[in-house]
Amino acid sequence: MSGQGPANARPHAAMTPDARLIDVRGPRFGAAVTSVLLLVVILLGLTTPLSGTALARVIEPGALLLTALVALFAWGAFAGVQRHPYGLLFRRLIAPRLNPPLEREDPAAPTFAQLVGFLVTATGLALHLVGVPGALVIAAAAAFLAAFLNAAFGYCLGCQLYVLLVRAGLVARRSAA
Amino acid sequence: MDFGIALLLIALLVAGATTLGVIVRARSTRVANGCGGDERSLAVEGAEVTLVQLSSPVCSACVAMRRVLGTMTAADSTIAHRELAVEDEAELARRHSVFSTPTTLVLDAHGRVRSRLIGAVRPDVVQRAVDAARLELVSA
Repeated sequence: MSGQGPANARPHAAMTPDARLIDVRGPRFGAAVTSVLLLVVILLGLTTPLSGTALARVIEPGALLLTALVALFAWGAFAGVQRHPYGLLFRRLIAPRLNPPLEREDPAAPTFAQLVGFLVTATGLALHLVGVPGALVIAAAAAFLAAFLNAAFGYCLGCQLYVLLVRAGLVARRSAA
Repeated sequence: MDFGIALLLIALLVAGATTLGVIVRARSTRVANGCGGDERSLAVEGAEVTLVQLSSPVCSACVAMRRVLGTMTAADSTIAHRELAVEDEAELARRHSVFSTPTTLVLDAHGRVRSRLIGAVRPDVVQRAVDAARLELVSA
């Protein structure tokens, strides 16, 4: 290894054009909305007794709201946070009323967080539908924790979880740099 | 379940999440001791201190840390900065207890890991760690 500065390897996101970067406050706004909705799911889940049949469990109010949230997480995870409805809402209605962004980020990190949110809430919903007691509330509480920490404290789920996946051997060496 | 008890549980959840958030935020950027292990192969030849940043592709703080270290190395030619993808360096991450990205290993001129910078730490904190790494170890 000789030379410094420009010769240094910059494996991630360095080639990202600036236009792709998003205002860091966008995903945090989305996480705040999601946190509140997840609390509503928990409240509905705690106050509604588990129904006897799968069909009745599908149409419980908490399950319906969580279904909508699973769909929103899927939207963010698979279409990218830039195309998420909260992202559009933020850009149209909220960002114009705020100061220009001080920080911009690659959408890869919040998109990864959406994927994790999707997996957690979808698992909880599926377990609820087969009749596991408490699955709805526990999954919503876990997703709430991540969304709330992101909204209120700027917590970056990808920064931690990704390394743990690598260490556990679940994420392997990239095939192409 | 009674509505009042449900609201109480939710209040407890929010309080617990807030406490966790304060702890996580306090611990997310800090300087930890290096194990001193020899990573000579990662040290940049001729540099007094090499900053080896481990990054992941889904990490916003990594970008901020890259900017901080890039500015520092541009201003001081005795420091070198390298950024490695953590998924290519699982063994290195295990050897140095890397649990989050960015984690930056501060290597002295002999390639020993003197400290680990966890998260996007402030430039003055990086500078102190770099200065400490320039000092010879008393008992190596």
